[in-house]
Amino acid sequence: MSEIKIEVLYSEYANLFGDLMNIHYLGKCIPQARIIYTGLNDIPAFTKETVSMIYMGPMTEHQQELVIQALLPYKEQIQNCIANNTVFLLTGNAMETFEAYIENENGSRIMGLNLFPTYAKRDMFHRYNSLILGEYQGITLVGFKAQFSHSYGDNYHCYFYKVLRGDGLYPGSQLEGLHKNNFFGTYTVGPFLVENPLFTKHLIKLMGISNPVLAFESSIMEAYRKRLEEFQNPKLRFH
Amino acid sequence: MKKKTLRFQLSLLISNLAMHMQKLLGMNASYFPGKLAIKLCPDFLGQIEKPETIICVTGTNGKTTVCNMILDVLTDHGYDVLNNKAGSNINAGVASSLIAGSTITGKAKKKVAVFEIDERSSKLIYPYIQPDFAVCTNLFRDSIHRNAHPEFIFNIISGSFPKNAHLILNADDLISSALSPENKRTYFSIAKLDSDLKECINIINDMQTCPNCHETLSWNYIRYHHIGNAYCPTCSFASPPSDYIASLDFSSHTVTILAYGKEETYPLVSSSIFNTYNEITAITLLREFGLTKEQIFASLKKLNIVESRYSSETVNGIEIVTHMAKGQNPIACSCVFDYVRQESGQKEVILMLDDVFDRDGSSEIMTWIYDADFEFLNSELIHRIIISGVRSADYKFRLLMAGVPESKLICTQKEIDAPNHLSLNGTEKVFILHELYAAEEAMRVKDKVKEAIQNRRNSNV
Repeated sequence: MSEIKIEVLYSEYANLFGDLMNIHYLGKCIPQARIIYTGLNDIPAFTKETVSMIYMGPMTEHQQELVIQALLPYKEQIQNCIANNTVFLLTGNAMETFEAYIENENGSRIMGLNLFPTYAKRDMFHRYNSLILGEYQGITLVGFKAQFSHSYGDNYHCYFYKVLRGDGLYPGSQLEGLHKNNFFGTYTVGPFLVENPLFTKHLIKLMGISNPVLAFESSIMEAYRKRLEEFQNPKLRFH
Repeated sequence: MKKKTLRFQLSLLISNLAMHMQKLLGMNASYFPGKLAIKLCPDFLGQIEKPETIICVTGTNGKTTVCNMILDVLTDHGYDVLNNKAGSNINAGVASSLIAGSTITGKAKKKVAVFEIDERSSKLIYPYIQPDFAVCTNLFRDSIHRNAHPEFIFNIISGSFPKNAHLILNADDLISSALSPENKRTYFSIAKLDSDLKECINIINDMQTCPNCHETLSWNYIRYHHIGNAYCPTCSFASPPSDYIASLDFSSHTVTILAYGKEETYPLVSSSIFNTYNEITAITLLREFGLTKEQIFASLKKLNIVESRYSSETVNGIEIVTHMAKGQNPIACSCVFDYVRQESGQKEVILMLDDVFDRDGSSEIMTWIYDADFEFLNSELIHRIIISGVRSADYKFRLLMAGVPESKLICTQKEIDAPNHLSLNGTEKVFILHELYAAEEAMRVKDKVKEAIQNRRNSNV
């Protein structure tokens, strides 16, 4: 098996809502993995070498604009990585940087990488907080959403998971996130891989480890089962 | 003064009646009358007469403590101060305070007001309330539900502070120190401490890079998170120079402040660094307000941090400390964990951090625990951590990720059962860290800890 390299993009900014714990947890689960932290003024590792996974977490609205400017020169390499089945995980509003554009309340637009046909609209006056329950390839997913923006457009052919309760890409949508080959993007925050240990196993398998063993497996599964039980309770408030 | 409309007069009359009714019924009249007044007259805050001098205090952490300190010192020196201490810190709370502090015709009865202001409510309050002094304690990450991230809150406050307000700001906080750059400002800071670091050891540091050129910042010293003194190695960006520089002496429990070329010494009211920041904030404001150092000194000697946030009691040689650790707020919790870590002696910790409101029909958004430095509880001197509440499985996993051995962790669903699991074997201190709204439950837990210590002593006799 080749060396597992996980590249974390712009962690000095893209680190809101505890989402870097996604990487710390992967590091515990795959102790042999090399984790590369790429800063905004750095040249990304994926442009120079093969990486197993690229991760980017949620950030502020201003930082989204900085990140888009930093990634635009590497758009073609990113497309190649997605085509070559590199694992991507983008959580929170990091996903929006890969969409067509982000629209402000006044109608002005920040052009994105345009790797997906959807677009985001900001509403800084209304914070959207919700729980979400979904299903991906037989894995029941749980999560939290806390955001100012939603994405719109058609993700029918590129959604990440079906929503069982809560909202998907936008209020009323039953399809959450973006998915293409091994690219996964979701608005879910706070760290998605910790909340969903069964998906974490799936993700590790995609990186070439056939029988992954999770760190603190019994404890993380206990927390997952407890949350799942709550989320499946029809009386639970999701908003 | 804005002309009072008939609509205003009516809303004042009705809200006054509502306030008196609530008081007659024994209810807390600190929110509803103001809400009603604003509903009836949307610019009610603009039309009601205000005290001559207004002090507003905002910020992520410490604003209540700072307000209380300012209020206590001013009251101690004969000022009759209007305040919203008993109620809400949003626009309705401020309106209720102003109603309570005015005559039936809307004239202000008091000359000075101290208002605690919720950060997000800034844009609803400052268009109508023109503070003479606006204090910002600090800006950090807070609840993701309401506050999202510091940049969001910064933009709200910075865009709301009235141009004539004299700002009192923390020079050690590179975020809040940049608020409203056109305003008159006075900075305070705490001089380098022996315990300061060169690199941040916290999970959260929201000022890692220069806002101008995005280069990684260098730190002359860093205290916690983004609190410290920094500069950009490639451009001119740096922490602002401070007007009030505090030097701490924990051995003599004093703080010496250098301001305008003169040194002034005051008693330290707390041994924790975050409460010391609160004290320096209050002192800076009070000096700029016009009190003498002698006046402030005399009042500070009598001050204590409010009991509901911190208490300490020794039973049979074991110190029991209760400390509020505001849930959903990773910075506040990290500071408390750091404080526990730095306390001497063999310790046991009871965690009761669940959000009491989310328990009722929802499930708490737990993202914040991955921003909080639970790593500070991974200490050889902490030999047991009892995790209580419905979210105990989440906290257990978080503590395992922090490196705490599983053998030290005990989970219990009910907080009141936590004291049953204390070992009290060689224990010198028991810390009860509780969520903001669990103060009463924490006192019940504390009583049970006292019982457990007594029982253990009796069984040993």
